[in-house]
Amino acid sequence: MATPVYLLPGDEVPSDRLPPTSNAPLRLGPGLRLLSKSHSRSTKAAPSDHVIVATEAGLLKTDLKRNAASVLTFPNRRYIATPNDLVIAQIHHSSQDYFHCMVTPHAPHALLGQLAFEGATKKTRPMLKQGDLVYARVLSVGVGAGAEVELACVNPATGKAEPGGLGPLTGGMVFDVSVGTAARLMKGSSASAANQQDPVDGLVVLEELGKKLESIGGFEIAVGRNGKVWVDCSNGGDSAIRATVAIGRCLTMIDDHDLSPIDQKKAIARILKEMKLDL
Amino acid sequence: MNPPDNGVASFQPVHRPDGSATYTCPLTGFNVLGAVNAPIELPARRDALKPEEATLEVFVKPATSSPAVGERYVEGILRNLLGAIILGREKGFPRRGVVLTLAVLEGGDSKATGRGSSYLTLLPALLHTALLALLSASVPMSMYFTTTIIAVTPSGEIICKPSIKDADEAASVHVLAFSSKGHLLLTESEGSFDFDTWEKVHDRALTICHLPEEASAGNGKVEYAVGSTWQKWLAESVEDYIGFKYAYEFA
Repeated sequence: MATPVYLLPGDEVPSDRLPPTSNAPLRLGPGLRLLSKSHSRSTKAAPSDHVIVATEAGLLKTDLKRNAASVLTFPNRRYIATPNDLVIAQIHHSSQDYFHCMVTPHAPHALLGQLAFEGATKKTRPMLKQGDLVYARVLSVGVGAGAEVELACVNPATGKAEPGGLGPLTGGMVFDVSVGTAARLMKGSSASAANQQDPVDGLVVLEELGKKLESIGGFEIAVGRNGKVWVDCSNGGDSAIRATVAIGRCLTMIDDHDLSPIDQKKAIARILKEMKLDL
Repeated sequence: MNPPDNGVASFQPVHRPDGSATYTCPLTGFNVLGAVNAPIELPARRDALKPEEATLEVFVKPATSSPAVGERYVEGILRNLLGAIILGREKGFPRRGVVLTLAVLEGGDSKATGRGSSYLTLLPALLHTALLALLSASVPMSMYFTTTIIAVTPSGEIICKPSIKDADEAASVHVLAFSSKGHLLLTESEGSFDFDTWEKVHDRALTICHLPEEASAGNGKVEYAVGSTWQKWLAESVEDYIGFKYAYEFA
C-alpha cells in the first residue's frame, strides 16, 4: 500500500490518489465535497475545473471496486440513525400503535409499529414489555431537527423479516461497544460468508471465539449499529452464563484497547482461562 | 512527535461528548479542555434556531471564578471565528446545534486568570483547543486555522513566543489567526501601536501560522518552511491519533 494520505478540513485530495477515471461516476463518502476551482492561482493546466476537498479530518480511503472515496474520521462517535441500519433497541413503553424504543442514550425515543413484525396481525402480535429487546431495521429518520426515527422488524414490501433474524431478542445479554467497533463487527460477519480466510478490518474475535466455544455448543450474536451487541449461549448448559459473560468481556476489552489480531487472540485465551472455559 | 514549543494536544480525553481534546500551551502553561457535541437537538431553543443552519454555542469556563463579562467577550470572538469556518448547512446540521465547551483547567499564572485581566494571552490556547475538539467531533469545516500571539516591547522589538511576563511588560499584544488558505481570520490587539508595527506583526504571524502554498502543494512528505510549524504540528497531532486508531487499515 502507498503512503497513507491524512487530510485536514480544506485540504485538496491529491488527484493521483483517487480511483482512476472510468465510466462509472465517482462516489464521495462523508467528509468530502466537490468544489469548482473558481480562482486558480497555479499556472499549470488543471485536468478539470473541479477539486475534491475534505471537510473533516481523517485518513483518505478509496475503494477501487465501488469507485468510491471517503474519509475515515475520528472514531468513537455517537450513533446517528441512518435508514437501513440494523440496531438493537430496548422497549421503553408501549402505546396504542407503537412501541417507544431507546436506540441511543439521551436521544428522543424511536417508534416501532406494533404490527411491524413478521406475521403480526391485530390478534397475534408480540406483547413486548418494558426492557425487552428487539433487533430492528431503521425504516426512516424523518427530515430536519425533532423528527421521529421509525423502526421496523419486517420488510413492508414482502412481509418477511428481512434480513433474517429481525424481531424480539429473547434471553441472552447485551454489551456496549463503540459505534466504530460495531460497524467493524458487522462488516466482518457479512464478508465472512464470502471469503473465510482474511480477518476483516483486523477483527478476529468472533472467529476465534466461535472456534474455542464450539465444544460448549457455540453462541448466537446480534450486532446493532448503535453500539450494542447481544450474545446468547442458551445451548451451553452449565457454562452458558460464564460463556456469555466471557464473550462480552472479550468484546469490551478489544474495543477499549484497540488490540491487534495477535493481541486479540491472547486476550481471548486469557479471559477464557480466567472464566474456566478453556476445556 | 510534537515539537514541544507548540504545546501538547491529546484527543478524546473524555468519553461522553462526541468529540473532545485537551491542549497545553507551553509558554503560558494554560491547560484547556474542550468538548463538542454536534449535531445535537436544542429543544429549549427551538424558536431561536436558524432554519437552514446549525446554531453554534460556545461556553468558556475559567479556572478559578465563575463565567462573567470577560468570558462572554471571548465566547463572542470564538463564535464569530468558528461560525465562519463550520459548514452548518451540511446534512444533519440545519436547525440543530453545535455546542462547544472550553474549560480552563490550569492557568499558567494565577494572576492571568483573575477578574478583569487581559484575555489575549489565553486566546490562542482557547482557539487551538476549540479547533482540536471540533476536528475530533468530525464537525464539517470548510478549512482549519492556526493562531499565534505576538508581543511588541516598548522599544519596538517583536517577541514571537511571549510568556505571560513578556505580555505584561509589552507595549502592545496581538493575537492573529490565519486559515489554512492564508486568509486573516482574526486580529485582536491591545495596547498602543501604529500601523507599521501592525504590518510587521502581521507578516511575522503569517510566517509562523501559514505554510506557503509551494511547500504544501505536494501534500505528502514535503520539506516544511522554517518557522511555519503550526500547520505541521496540527497535521502531525491528527496523524498520530488517526494512524493509531486505524492501524488495522495498514495491515
